[in-house]
Amino acid sequence: MTAVGSSLLPLRFERVSASYGARPALRDIELTVRTGEFVALAGPNGSGKTTLLRTVLGFVVPTTGRVELFGDRVEDLSIRERARRVAWLPQEESPRDDVRLLDYVRYGRYALHGTLEGDSPQDYELARSILDQVGLADRANDGILSISGGERQRAVLGRALAQTTPLLLLDEPTSHLDIGHQLDLLARVRELSHRRGVTVVAALHDLNLAARFADRIVVLSRGRAVADGPPLEVLSEELLVRVWGVVADLRREPRTGMPYLIPHRLALAVQALGPGTSFGPVHVVGGGGAAAPYLRALADEGYSLSVGALHLLDSDAEVAETLLVAAPIEAPFAPLGPEVRGRHRALLEAARVIVVAPFAVGPSNLANLEDLIPFAARTPTFLVRAPPIAERDFTGGQASRIYERVRAAGAREVAGPEELLRGLRALASGPSPSP
Amino acid sequence: MNGSSDHAPVPPVGSPGREEGRARSLYLLLAILGIVAIVIVLSPLLGTVFIPPLTVLRILLELPNGCVGTSASPNLCTAYAEIIWQERIPEIGLATIAGAALGISGATLQGVFRNPLADPFLLGISSGGTIGAAIVFDFHIGQLQADLFLPLFAFIGAIATGLVILGVALSRYGSVETLLLTGVALSSLLSAVLALLLLYNPIGSEQVAFWLLGGLGNASWTVDGIAMGVLLVTGTLLSLFGRELNLMQLGGDVARSAGVDVRRVRVWMILLASLTTGVAVAFTGIIGFVGLVSPHVVRRIAGTDYRIVLPGSALVGAVFLLGARDTSLLIYSSSVLPIGIFTAFFGAPFFIYLLFRRRPTTTMGGL
Repeated sequence: MTAVGSSLLPLRFERVSASYGARPALRDIELTVRTGEFVALAGPNGSGKTTLLRTVLGFVVPTTGRVELFGDRVEDLSIRERARRVAWLPQEESPRDDVRLLDYVRYGRYALHGTLEGDSPQDYELARSILDQVGLADRANDGILSISGGERQRAVLGRALAQTTPLLLLDEPTSHLDIGHQLDLLARVRELSHRRGVTVVAALHDLNLAARFADRIVVLSRGRAVADGPPLEVLSEELLVRVWGVVADLRREPRTGMPYLIPHRLALAVQALGPGTSFGPVHVVGGGGAAAPYLRALADEGYSLSVGALHLLDSDAEVAETLLVAAPIEAPFAPLGPEVRGRHRALLEAARVIVVAPFAVGPSNLANLEDLIPFAARTPTFLVRAPPIAERDFTGGQASRIYERVRAAGAREVAGPEELLRGLRALASGPSPSP
Repeated sequence: MNGSSDHAPVPPVGSPGREEGRARSLYLLLAILGIVAIVIVLSPLLGTVFIPPLTVLRILLELPNGCVGTSASPNLCTAYAEIIWQERIPEIGLATIAGAALGISGATLQGVFRNPLADPFLLGISSGGTIGAAIVFDFHIGQLQADLFLPLFAFIGAIATGLVILGVALSRYGSVETLLLTGVALSSLLSAVLALLLLYNPIGSEQVAFWLLGGLGNASWTVDGIAMGVLLVTGTLLSLFGRELNLMQLGGDVARSAGVDVRRVRVWMILLASLTTGVAVAFTGIIGFVGLVSPHVVRRIAGTDYRIVLPGSALVGAVFLLGARDTSLLIYSSSVLPIGIFTAFFGAPFFIYLLFRRRPTTTMGGL
């Protein structure tokens, strides 16, 4: 149908920057989308996902760089020609009139006709077959305003599909849908993408949906692409903290091996009430129940928390779970493995303050202290001095030596939770430490 | 893909409410057709001078000896023929043309602005025409050729207002909301200017007041010819934008993503609607409610497809204005009452009725 060869890249961004007035929305975006890919754009609100899609449609013209749609610069294409190459499913369409679904879908054929051409019987046939594809074959004569929100979004998808374009853009298409309709809509889109080779670029703010349906995730943060790759490579707890300011557990779905996230707390944003609300995340190193009183005290004051690394069935791990605190968890009694240690280091990295609870240190959890060393030099660190380390060092003096080093790096010592909270308040009111 | 014929005859799955709505639409359609029939028969019979119906028919059919069998003298008969051919028929023609013009303009503006309340009056296009007329009266411009200058200035006033709205549409503030609000603000401003002009010249105010309520008194074959010429061109062009308007009802961005050059369509349609309204206002003054009500009637009967709503509104507008003329003559035949009084008198209650019959799609917080 279109004059677009299959060898051309559906979409190419070449150092694209865009802004709304003085406010930059996209900065130096480099992005290539290949034929048949399902690419998810992820990132917090205001990170530039929608703007990126709007540059493809020609709604936003880049200040620098170029956006190419099947080899041609978007601005060089007529509006009609663009509509033959790319279709758009917005977050929500708000039709005013109770248009029949069959007509609604048929409206999508507009760009495929000349100015004075009417709709042909083939258009009606196509519209019916598309209604069938989106599961609305029996609602063809119902009005768009008289069906449910989930069905309406499917009808809107049908309207976009009727353009029969090789590229489909979705802008948060599921944000107003319940979980069943979310899965249904994205499954239909992915099926289409894989079966007919339609290239899909979707802004999705639900990372679990993105990981589940997309071949590739591009993460945007403040207008920049900060990560790009398959879901398994891209998603990490560290990225979650850095881009979204959310502390979350990354797990693997046992059957499919797909990553999924269980968010716990806001790491950076203001949420609950209390002196700790606007403070950065506080990371507690603990184990064996030693961290529990500190976690409770900090949670009560509104601090966002993480804890680690712990063993399954540890009472600290249970407290962490009830308080919804992020915690890397190792199998019981095993030494901390590389994966858990990696996640622990990511949490230490993200922390504004590190608290070392008075936990018993043995060979299985000595790694917690070892991993702490480089961060203690950069991040304000509180050591709980009672009971003294000598009484709970079961590593033949290794733990005590690390304590010495951490103290030497400038760590403050506190006697208990009360003193810790006072110390944190002083830190919050004082000048913030340079990163 | 080839199996699409399998499910071609999809039975309409309609809720009872929908069926009921269809039945109501059918009654409305029958009512309209009834009015059309009555109006066609009645219109030539009505006028400020009573002419026996049979005589009217004979004169219209150009039968020889139109007045045979009546008591009318040959002189009176000639006068009757003069009245019918030089007054009534042009008047009927002007009512039809102006009604159609206002109807299609209303449908266009409601479509372009995605707002059921948009019409030439609300947007100030009609008021612009009145200012033009008031200037002619106040400053005695071309008094000798008032027949020419009055419509010309009214036309220029309407077009100028349309161009201001267009200018806003072309600026970077040209969202639908700004456009609509600009029109409303402009309308108020022009009313103020008009009030000032009337104060400045109280002598002209009576004429302007008559103009404000609209009338068919200017009708002549020349007037009808000019108006018809303009309407044929603008009306045909406007009717070609049905598919674009259909998509634009889904939102400007959606329409654009589907291939509609929304900006260009808006410019053309506002321009054409201003021209169309301008020609109606130029010859009849301000006639309210025709532009507002007609598209709603069509939507009730024939659905929301603008390919039908645009020409349909012209048809309904024509019938509406002609019906208003007939009613005014039936009620008070001895003089020509401003027709705008009647369109408002019937239009406003009917419009409210339509709004209340409409199935509520969105509720405003239970207000």
